[in-house]
Amino acid sequence: MFKYSSSGDVWMRGVVMVGILSYGAYIPIWRISRTELSRATGIPSMGGERAVAGWDEDSITMAVEAGLDCISDLDVRGVDALHFATTTPPYIEKQNATIIASALDLRRDVSVADFTSSLRCGITAIRAAVDAIKSGRCKRVLVTVADCRLPVPGSAQEQIYGDAGVAFLLGKERGIAEVKEFHVLNEPILGTWRRSEDRYVMQFDPRADNVVYVRVLSETIKALLEKAGLCLKDFSKIAFYANDPRQYVRAASAIGIDVKSQLQDFLFADVGVTGAAHALLLLAAALEDAKPGDRILCAGYGDGCEAFYVEVTDEIESIKEKRRGVKGHIRSKKLLPTYELYMDFKRLRDRRWPEPAKASVVTYWRDEIFELPFYGMKCKECGRITYPVARVCRICGAKDKYEIVKLARRGKIFTYTYDFLLGPGGYPGDGVYPGIKAVIDLEDGTRVLLEVTDVLMGELDVDMPVEVTFRLIHQKSDYRFYYWKARPVRG
Amino acid sequence: MIGSLKDKVAIIGTGVTKFGEIWDKDAEDLLVEAVHEACNEANIDPVKDVDGIWVATFYTFSGVGGTAFSEPLKIFGKPVTRVENYCASGMDAIRNAAIAVASGLYDIVIACGVEKILDQGARGLPGVGEMNPQPVLPRLSAPAMFALCAVRAFKVWGWTKEDLAKVAVKNHYNGYYHPKAHFRRKIDIETALKAPIIAYPLGLYDCCAVSDGAAAVVLTRPEIARKLVGDEYAVIKGLGLAVETATPWLDPNFDFLGFPSTRKAADMAYKMAGIEDPRKELDFGIVHDCFTITELLDYQDMRLCKPGEGADLIREEVTTIHGDFPINPDGGLKCFGHPIGATGCRMVVELTRQVLGRAEGLQVKDAEIGFAHNLGGPFSVASVIIVARK
Repeated sequence: MFKYSSSGDVWMRGVVMVGILSYGAYIPIWRISRTELSRATGIPSMGGERAVAGWDEDSITMAVEAGLDCISDLDVRGVDALHFATTTPPYIEKQNATIIASALDLRRDVSVADFTSSLRCGITAIRAAVDAIKSGRCKRVLVTVADCRLPVPGSAQEQIYGDAGVAFLLGKERGIAEVKEFHVLNEPILGTWRRSEDRYVMQFDPRADNVVYVRVLSETIKALLEKAGLCLKDFSKIAFYANDPRQYVRAASAIGIDVKSQLQDFLFADVGVTGAAHALLLLAAALEDAKPGDRILCAGYGDGCEAFYVEVTDEIESIKEKRRGVKGHIRSKKLLPTYELYMDFKRLRDRRWPEPAKASVVTYWRDEIFELPFYGMKCKECGRITYPVARVCRICGAKDKYEIVKLARRGKIFTYTYDFLLGPGGYPGDGVYPGIKAVIDLEDGTRVLLEVTDVLMGELDVDMPVEVTFRLIHQKSDYRFYYWKARPVRG
Repeated sequence: MIGSLKDKVAIIGTGVTKFGEIWDKDAEDLLVEAVHEACNEANIDPVKDVDGIWVATFYTFSGVGGTAFSEPLKIFGKPVTRVENYCASGMDAIRNAAIAVASGLYDIVIACGVEKILDQGARGLPGVGEMNPQPVLPRLSAPAMFALCAVRAFKVWGWTKEDLAKVAVKNHYNGYYHPKAHFRRKIDIETALKAPIIAYPLGLYDCCAVSDGAAAVVLTRPEIARKLVGDEYAVIKGLGLAVETATPWLDPNFDFLGFPSTRKAADMAYKMAGIEDPRKELDFGIVHDCFTITELLDYQDMRLCKPGEGADLIREEVTTIHGDFPINPDGGLKCFGHPIGATGCRMVVELTRQVLGRAEGLQVKDAEIGFAHNLGGPFSVASVIIVARK
């Protein structure tokens, strides 16, 4: 067995301080009960619910949502880099992080990078962010991690997996938690895999994987503790990736972690195992309950193990209640009543799916300012904000006298319809899922027409408060067109 | 400054095909039928006597360019213009043709429209999802656009699904008697209310059908009209066309409780015709009832009543065939369906035949003067014409 250590370790020890300045999370509103999954598949229920991304969500949209939760009350233009980590990048050739950066309205010159292929890529993205800050190249780095893994239909993994995103803003200050040591151990173990031509996640005999998993995790944590000069009992919470909750608890016991007091809740009852996002989602959950001085250890797993720990500062109190975070998103939920609906969300059964159609990728690129960062125009003559950005003000007719402004993210429904002839994304209606559309007055007085998501027939009303959410609109021309939809404000 | 062509243009010939799901005919058959019927009625030869032609088609598959007319009719070498102005294309063809006649440039012209939609196999209107090149801004089907208005009218004025159903019942009653109508079946309120939703809150019977059809009129100046058809002609008293936004849902001032395009086009037409109180001075009207909610809003926009009172007119049976001011005595789009390019021309055919006392379906008693209103796009384009017996 070979052991590798990170080349960064030499200078990682303490010269420049790096901290977590903010965190955010995203868990889709939809859940399916494992009882229902059990009914449909015949596999005994593991209890509780799992989170299911809507049919218009993917790793990019969930990363944007987690990013918004993390930084929407902060100066987004002060972010110098955006890292996006996922094992389910919607694009294999084409940068995913660039789309996220635009939707989050980051500066044009931020450095962007996709981290992918391993379940531990989220931790790698954090480590790269810390490196970038320590090197002096960046002051603030936003790390977004999201995963939307598709298990083999009818398998036990359907009950185990969940979809979610998480985000951390890191900077050159102590922040709410100072990021301390990292340790990496590489080993091309069995684990899970998905070849580029595969749709579903593959797995060999999980029993073999389990043995290697416990050893690698154990060795990594032990090495990290040695580096830091700490022992296990110095940590308030320990959170790490595991393939399932049983493996999580067994590994913790084997390593010597006190399961009752030290082991962070695995979020299995409400969310499921969220792939590359999971270890960091657990860290965000731990931060929500953390006290100043707490040490939290976080480890990601996949082709080895990568672990780090943080020390919570006094600042932690200042962020509490200001993020929807993990808890807020868990509270805000709707149950998918049937497995059939789950199959439709995941496109697992043949239905009359929208026929292929064309849409202009060039127009999409040209209109980016009002599509991704969602800007409108403010007329310098009459002062009204209208959407989208156009040459002539539709209120007063002034030509070329406007400034672009970022639109309000919340508003109220003025009027709405459930359109059975034109379905979601402007595809011909399938007679089952209507295109739900609403005319909305945003808080800044702008009027927009948006599709409404996260709702079923009959839920809308005039004056209902809504907020915008980043979604996949359609895939005409075999391209992924992202844009904003509205949803009822999540609790 | 808009001038006037009041009494300067005569309608001497009208032709209209059966409207409906016409599987065994194509656009060529329909247009040839309508144009020849109109020319026969006008006692003219389409090849020898016609100086210019305006042909309305909305969809390119119904015909493009001037050849949309010249090819099916095999009339070559004449000035032909294709007109497309959303669902108001047909009446806009007539407006252009009327202006040409009134100017004295042409003596006899044809305005016609045709649409052959059923062949496309779409639910609703084909291709509306692709009409705007912007790839992500949401699109609405036609019923969805008007559904947005119904939701507001329900909220602001307390109108109900029953009010809408009454419009459907009234128009289906009228359409039952019209041999050219797509639907010739009386319905009751319950049938309308129980129908499946097309775009909430609009159900199946709140929507006009997708149909095929063609219609044509022959226009000339009154002095020529007398030579051709004696006193059997109608005259245009006024007309108007107004074009508004294609995206009313992006206008923060838009209230979804009526259409500025209709109000402006109506004002132009009323002014030209010297009409001050249309409810008193006119005998009946033909409105663009693409959806039941549209008809109620049209009552208001055409100034037959005040805003908010549209539903009262249907509740009090003012607009039935026996009412004080009959609306859509033919059954409207509700019963004819809406072959886009043909509709505005068909309305003027019906209007002319009513004032000449030879309506094919129900005849409005003592009809001498009436209006037709054609609305297109997301309330973007409205055309209004006022026609009277010579």
